[in-house]
This record gives sequence, C-alpha cells and structure tokens, in this order.
Amino acid sequence: MSAPATPAAPITATGTASRNVAGQAIAITVFSTIRPLVNLLAPIPGRIFLPLLFFLTRSFPKLTGTLRQLSFIHFARWCVISELPYNGPPQRKGKLRYQHMYFESNFNGGWEEYIDAFSHILARGMTAFWGTSYGFPKPLPTAPFKRYIQDNEVEADHYYSAYPEATSTMIQRAIVLDAKLDALKRDAAKLEPEAFAAAYRRFLTDVQHCL
Amino acid sequence: MAMGTKANVSGQAYAFMAMTPVRPGEEDALSTYLRGLYAAGPSPFERLPRTHLARFVIVPDFHNDRSWKQRREEHLDVHYLIFTSNLDGDLDSYLDELCRELAPEAEQIWGRCIGCPEQASGDALKRYLKHNQIDTGIFFAAYPDATTTKVKRSLRNREQMIEFARTSQGLDAAALQQRFLREFGDGS
Repeated sequence: MSAPATPAAPITATGTASRNVAGQAIAITVFSTIRPLVNLLAPIPGRIFLPLLFFLTRSFPKLTGTLRQLSFIHFARWCVISELPYNGPPQRKGKLRYQHMYFESNFNGGWEEYIDAFSHILARGMTAFWGTSYGFPKPLPTAPFKRYIQDNEVEADHYYSAYPEATSTMIQRAIVLDAKLDALKRDAAKLEPEAFAAAYRRFLTDVQHCL
Repeated sequence: MAMGTKANVSGQAYAFMAMTPVRPGEEDALSTYLRGLYAAGPSPFERLPRTHLARFVIVPDFHNDRSWKQRREEHLDVHYLIFTSNLDGDLDSYLDELCRELAPEAEQIWGRCIGCPEQASGDALKRYLKHNQIDTGIFFAAYPDATTTKVKRSLRNREQMIEFARTSQGLDAAALQQRFLREFGDGS
C-alpha cells in the first residue's frame, strides 16, 4: 500500500514478512481497485460481472473444484467493498469512488509457489477475479503478476492459527483417516484376533496416503 | 457488501470481517500493540477455541499507480483496521465469546477506532463489530465441516496412528489387537 504506518517486516524464507506467518500457515491480504468501465480482459464492468461471478461460484461448487485441488489452501475469501460503514466524524461518509476487491488467503508453503500455482493452474479463474481490477497484468507470465500482488498486498499486524504445526493437506488427510479409524475402533473389540489383524492390515492399506 | 449472509458460510464455517476506522493519531500505537501480542504471550485467540485462523491488518491507504491509468486516485480518509476470522458455527455466539474473552485486548484494539463504545466489551462492542461487518462474496474452506476441535483431534489421532503403525510391526494378532484397544479404545 502507498503509505505504510511503520516499516515493512523482513522477508522470511517463506517469501513473505514474518508477521504474515503463523507456523505453517501464511496470510496473504490483497486490495485491488475495480474498474468502473470495461477493458480487453473484462468485457463486462466489474460492478455487474463480479456479483454474477460470485453468485455462480457459490451456486455451482464444482467451479471451486480446481481451488480445492490446490490442497495447500485452508481458507480464502473475496469481498467487494463499495462503501465503508459510517461511525461518525472524522470518518468521511458516503460511497467510495471505486469499488475495491478484498482478497485474503490462508495457505501453507511458500509465497512464490502459491502465486505460481495460482497463475498456472487457475489462470482463467485469476483473470475472472482480477480482470476487472486496475493494473492486473494477466496471470502469466508470473513475474508481473507477482509484482502486482506485492504492490497491492498489506502485511498482517497479528496473524493466528489454531493449529500452526499443520498444513492444509495434513488436516484433510487426518480427517479422512479419523473417519476410517472410528470405524475400525467400533469393530475392534468384536473381532477375533486374526480377523482384527486382517481388518487392521486392510485399514493400513486404505489409509496409507493419509499417514 | 450486501452479498447476503449466506455467502459468509461454507459448511459449518463462517467468514467474519469487520473494517473499522482508526482514530487519527492512534495508528502507530495500535500497530505497535498488535505486533506485540505474540511477545506478550499466547495469542488472545487461544481464548476463542472456535477460531481456526484470524488476522488483524491495518490498511493505511489504497494503492494508486499512475501507470494503471486509473482515471482518478482514491485515498482512504483514515487508516482502517481489518479483523477477519474463520470460525466455527454461528456468528452471534462467537461474537458474544469474543466480546467477553477479549475484553482486555479489545480496549487496546477497537478502543482506538472511531465510534467504538467507551467500554469496548459486551453487547456494545458486539453491535459495533456487526455494524462494521463486511459481507463475503465467496468463501472457500478446504475442510468446511470440521470444527477446530475436530481438526485438532484428527491431527492427534493421525500422529498416534503413525506411531502405532511404526511400533506395532511384528506383533502377533492377539498382541496387536490388545495394544490397539489399549491405545485407541473400542469406539464406545
């Protein structure tokens, strides 16, 4: 952002500032300004296109299937902000001149790898989300896109994860394993030892990708 | 905004965001306080067990770049504090917990924001946070049906299972079953 309150924190090995890191989890927070008019990347104005995109994405969960394949994301959100709630002076009242898009993600891995994955795997999706924003350079090649994100990124002042030691993949695998472990636990006392040993071996084969 | 509250929900998870204007002159003090929270001990969010991931971000201004051919620049009138949380269950009861458990910190955080009630706690703080809520357009959750309790339990069980699988190799069937029941119980 153009006028940081205090100097930026040093960049860590994760490719982002230490304040954006909570164990394995990394925070990314991005604001972008939405064009009121059309351009080559966005033939429909953002104020019409983005609510439609959001509605369709919510209505057809398959559209987020690719996002789900990027198994290093815990939670992500996009919001369009047209007006800031008024709280009295000296805050200025009224609508913003432009709509602004807020994006945040909670992911694990490295900042560079995250943007690379977004650019390569979700190129069309990124164009859909940010194509209506000023300055969006297309997701590929990645270098200008990374610069764009960096220019629009704001560092967290405090970032918290309830399970800092865990990656999103670990959690998703642990949840799958837990359900299967519950089933084995239910049967364990009822089976004869040999039958239990066979069930345990089947269980291990079944969950080996979760371990 | 105005996307409706359904967009804030994915499975049992809720995406909350409040954007509050910081009182001019309080920006550095607020930033210093927030950045010092880790040094002061465990994060206050440890006292809100329904919180998966949360953040405080101070936004000083919008980014304006002449090369982007934006017709007119836009600047924020004051700095804004963003608070977002990815939480379990319904918002109302979560904010009740937040406004009770985080009352000592809330005074130092939202107490530095324009319009915050004099006593930054309880119902007054809850109303303030809800007044400043920004609705989500799209909320993506990788494990939308798992609460923090479920996530932590699953992670513990996974670790235990890895250790069990490693150390139980070579046991005969009866010993394997006995040890499994001792370590994991019978599911009852």
